[in-house]
Amino acid sequence: MSAPRVKPPATRGNDPISASALAHQPEALLAFMKLYGTLWSHGILDQSTKEMARIRNARTVDCGI
Amino acid sequence: MSWLPQSGPGRDDFERTFALRPDLFEAWREFAGLFFEKRLVDPVLLELCRLRIAQLHGARHPLSVRTPEALAAGLDEAKLAALAAWWKSPGFSDLERSCLRFAEQFVTDAKTMSDDEARPVVAALGDAGTVAFVEALALFDGISRFCRMLDVEPA
Repeated sequence: MSAPRVKPPATRGNDPISASALAHQPEALLAFMKLYGTLWSHGILDQSTKEMARIRNARTVDCGI
Repeated sequence: MSWLPQSGPGRDDFERTFALRPDLFEAWREFAGLFFEKRLVDPVLLELCRLRIAQLHGARHPLSVRTPEALAAGLDEAKLAALAAWWKSPGFSDLERSCLRFAEQFVTDAKTMSDDEARPVVAALGDAGTVAFVEALALFDGISRFCRMLDVEPA
């Protein structure tokens, strides 16, 4: 496995997203979490379909998170 | 007009399509607007990559609009006319070339991105700038796919 291309930020959260390099941009991270939360919590598409698409996409691009 | 049987309110086909999910549209606008409004990355650099990604996807709506912050920063149509073959044009800086190469790799096959391709981008933008840049690429790629898949018409 190659080294991360961006150094981990000094301040990081506890979940996989806010503990990631995204924390380098706190304002964008907050806006992203709002968008992501809306997608998962307020959508009309069932959760299993969204999760299947999410995992399939992660496998396609080889993303371990 | 998009092939979806329904649409919501809006000034163009993109807004009328995304308005079918108003809460998601609002959150998306808030997120997407940050990158230009807060200048998390140089707006000209971002606009070149946004439009190049739209070209790769053949996404008509994003190709039809221009981001005001990029125009205010000096981006003009003469430069954009060369964007489809940017590698042949002397009008693009080394950083623009590195970022366009990175953006194309992001769209076509992100998992084969090499350290050599990423290095000049990270060196120029820094860690925080690179994070913002890659987030912006994800937004541009996603919305181009959205417009392409739903056949959203140009503005």
